[in-house]
Amino acid sequence: MNCDLVLTVCPFCGCGCQFYLEVLDGEITGVVPCKTDEVSGGQLCIKGRNAAGFIYHRDRLKSPLVRRNGKFEETSWDEALEIVSGRLSEIKQLQGADSIGILSSAKCTNEENFLMMKFARAVIGTNNVDHCARLCHASTVLGLVNSFGSGAMTNSIPEIEGAGCIFVIGSNTMEQHPLVSSRVLRAKERGAKLIVADPRRIPLVEFADVHLQHRPGTDVCLLNGIMNLILSWNLADNDFIAGRTEGFEEFKRKVGEYSPEKVCQITGVDRAALEKAARWYGEAEKASILYAMGITQHTTGTDNVESCANLAMLTGNVGRKSTGVNPLRGQNNVQGACDMGALPNVYSGYQSVRDEASRGKFEKAWGVELPQEPGLTVTEMIDAALEGSLKAMYIMGENPVLSDPDVNHVRKALSELDFLVVQDCFLSDTAEFAHVVLPACSFAEKEGTFTATDRRVQRGRKAIGPIGDSKPDWVIITELARRMGSTQFNYESPQAIMEEIVNLTPSYGGISYERLDSGEVLAWPCPSKEHPGTKLLHEEIFARGKGRFFAIDYEQPAELPDEEYPFILTTGRVMFQFHTGTMTRRVPALEREASTGFVELNPEDAARLSIVQGEKVQVKSRRGEIEIKAFVTDRVSPGVVFIPFHFAECAANELTSRNLDPEAKIPEFKVCAVKIYKGDKHG
Amino acid sequence: MNRENEHKSVLVIGGGIAGIQASLDLANMGFKVYLVEKTPSIGGRMAQLDKTFPTNDCAMCILAPKMIEASQHPNIELLTYSEVEGVSGEEGNFHVKVKRKATHVDWDKCTGCGECTQTELDGSKEFEGEIWVDRIKIDETSCVQCGECTQACVEENKERHAMTNVAFERRRFVELPPEEREGREPEILAQRVALMDEESRADFWQKELSKCIKCFGCCDVCPVWIYGETELEDPEWIAPGEIPPAVPLFHIIRAYRIGDSCINCGMCEETCPVDIPLRTIHHLMQRQPPESIFEIIPGLDPETKNKLVERVKERPVVGTEISK
Repeated sequence: MNCDLVLTVCPFCGCGCQFYLEVLDGEITGVVPCKTDEVSGGQLCIKGRNAAGFIYHRDRLKSPLVRRNGKFEETSWDEALEIVSGRLSEIKQLQGADSIGILSSAKCTNEENFLMMKFARAVIGTNNVDHCARLCHASTVLGLVNSFGSGAMTNSIPEIEGAGCIFVIGSNTMEQHPLVSSRVLRAKERGAKLIVADPRRIPLVEFADVHLQHRPGTDVCLLNGIMNLILSWNLADNDFIAGRTEGFEEFKRKVGEYSPEKVCQITGVDRAALEKAARWYGEAEKASILYAMGITQHTTGTDNVESCANLAMLTGNVGRKSTGVNPLRGQNNVQGACDMGALPNVYSGYQSVRDEASRGKFEKAWGVELPQEPGLTVTEMIDAALEGSLKAMYIMGENPVLSDPDVNHVRKALSELDFLVVQDCFLSDTAEFAHVVLPACSFAEKEGTFTATDRRVQRGRKAIGPIGDSKPDWVIITELARRMGSTQFNYESPQAIMEEIVNLTPSYGGISYERLDSGEVLAWPCPSKEHPGTKLLHEEIFARGKGRFFAIDYEQPAELPDEEYPFILTTGRVMFQFHTGTMTRRVPALEREASTGFVELNPEDAARLSIVQGEKVQVKSRRGEIEIKAFVTDRVSPGVVFIPFHFAECAANELTSRNLDPEAKIPEFKVCAVKIYKGDKHG
Repeated sequence: MNRENEHKSVLVIGGGIAGIQASLDLANMGFKVYLVEKTPSIGGRMAQLDKTFPTNDCAMCILAPKMIEASQHPNIELLTYSEVEGVSGEEGNFHVKVKRKATHVDWDKCTGCGECTQTELDGSKEFEGEIWVDRIKIDETSCVQCGECTQACVEENKERHAMTNVAFERRRFVELPPEEREGREPEILAQRVALMDEESRADFWQKELSKCIKCFGCCDVCPVWIYGETELEDPEWIAPGEIPPAVPLFHIIRAYRIGDSCINCGMCEETCPVDIPLRTIHHLMQRQPPESIFEIIPGLDPETKNKLVERVKERPVVGTEISK
């Protein structure tokens, strides 16, 4: 009997908890917490504790599938790859490289994301490479770059514990980043003030000193109102503003227009609560902002992010321990996938494809000419597919048929494609549309690195061999690239890929498997072998030099309720499921807790529509309609309803709108108009 | 052997070399001997000496075999860490009252491996002075009840571990200065909770248990939790998908289910991502029947309480699968 404990990284949220996989005679038998891990400290949430639950699921794809006469047939790797390389080459030749779109994956390792973007750019020859960060933190990456010069969490997770005031806006931290919320609760225990701004009474509200229950989509107005009060009470950090920032005067004029009366009227927040929040945040010596999808998933997502940055700069809460602007990233490697350049406009390390020096560097390294115009984003690829300008897609580890807005539109677009390859562990809803499905390994079957939300690069380790005939994503991409004639894909292991990443990516310059394996905790930027990593960004100077204030006006969400569609629908997640549920819905312990979706409805609205607890209702928007169980609760205000997006049988994204933030191209998942009626009325 | 001695017994007071030798001699003559010693071990002064007068012999070389013989002799019953409190009766028929002090060790099981004395406290806790005098006579004013000694015992002697749990009245809460009464270290908190009136105790747990995010970590790591379908997974008892899960029912069920077998190792609290002071519950339950949970965490309606008690009576071990 041989028993091993393999230290690896949790495959779910961005906290980046490490744990051990318990391996008995080559079979994973469980998850054991790791006490020395600096984030989890031997504590895990229910998803982490059940992370091994889907690995051996009977639905795992065990051999490549190819569609023949409308049905999937099992085939050999040789044939599957031959078809994929043949079809992609053909489409590239006939329609041009830009008629192919590639989705990389925030669930895959840094190495795999790097390879995927290299494959797109160097082998296919297109910048049409993107991933689901477009749907979660695209506005962060853009907004924080505009304000600070670096689009990532400014501080590290353990620091949150030391903050004097924590402002959580648009983040259901206890359910979605449990190990971050444990720091928040510890700070609270030490006497910190906790301000929670959220349209819903999320579990964290129970512990908040003040809850700002603003209307969905009024974040800019709320933040401007708080900043107006801070300015009028002289709580601004004038030295910081004068020494380290620019654009303050214009910003100040703009914020001056947001009187408390106006703000309370627009946001629906009580004036006393607004004043408390402004006073506590303004007076705290160390104040930290945590935010997530509630800020980013709006047509004004970038504005919201820049407003958060404004607030932090106004009070000098950047560049010091336990302060900062901290976007909480939703997936274990969404930070890494962005860092690796699985984005249409940048190479790894956010080096612009337009910048000649950067492009030259990558061209030289890869020995090919690279396209210079930024490519299409996730949302634009879907539109292009429907229009017919995009002919083929290669989707690795993503499930746009559930995760993208207005999935009717997505389904139509995917069925228009001439050729669709899906590479996944399971036959996802998206894979149903594929021409070829390639079976990939799960996190437990491969080596690599993952980058957590606070820029910590950590090692994922192989615990068991591949299930069935599946292969690690990096192996599949490598073999495919070789078949398509590239000589640049000669990697023996993920470690070899990391060496190439390190050479081409300044912020990852000092990261190596040796250092990570020796137990070092490295957060990028880590430019050299001697560099200890950077837990705290913008300490002396902002990454862009001076921090930039933006004067931002409140703009309404794109789709507001009207007579026909009187409710605001806001979407989100629940504790027990993860995203489209490809993994978590196959874990019995999680499925037992949350087996299907529900629509949260205020008792007032429920009474008016005579809807009772647990009753099936129809929810309809301009784009689609679903049948779903009603959950009557005062967690939502009257006029607002909430639906989690995990569940294919009542998918919230049937309803959501495709309105995009004009710059970041992130869809407005958090606001759209719906109506609710009982099935029998067909209203 | 003299038949007269068959049912007669002798009490020897003091387990030094004289007491040991006397006990051995008597025992070898066939008397049942009770050897009472007030310290945790026999041996006395001689055990502290290097050489003995006048032969310069090694003291332990003489003493140790006798100590072992005394401890293993079928006719000798050692009553260590005990004191004679009173003697009554008359020659030939004495009644002796012996006070046996708590040792936290089950002497029938202890192998004397010494592992318990090798463990150390978690480095994060700072305390002045010695934490214990030894593992048998624990200094109750400074033990923090980290449980490491028990764990070491369990690890070393898997089948027959001897350490029982240490008690919690160490630093007496009522004697502490006010600023130290607010701490969350388990021993202080346990006493604070014990001293609360029912209403404040209910409020305290309401607040703490509302943090629960239902990770099931406390059950996952628990060495005595029985896997299988319990009330915690049953929608009739605990509504699925709700955060926090029913307060205080969820945690009452959990604690009640292990109340009789909890070894107070503290892992449930250590692995709790929201720092619920679960150890405190088990400190308080430690020397009381499992039903004490209903007083420790008040506020459960009587109907549910009775239903739970009945249910656990009916199905003490639910869905046990010994062979997996």
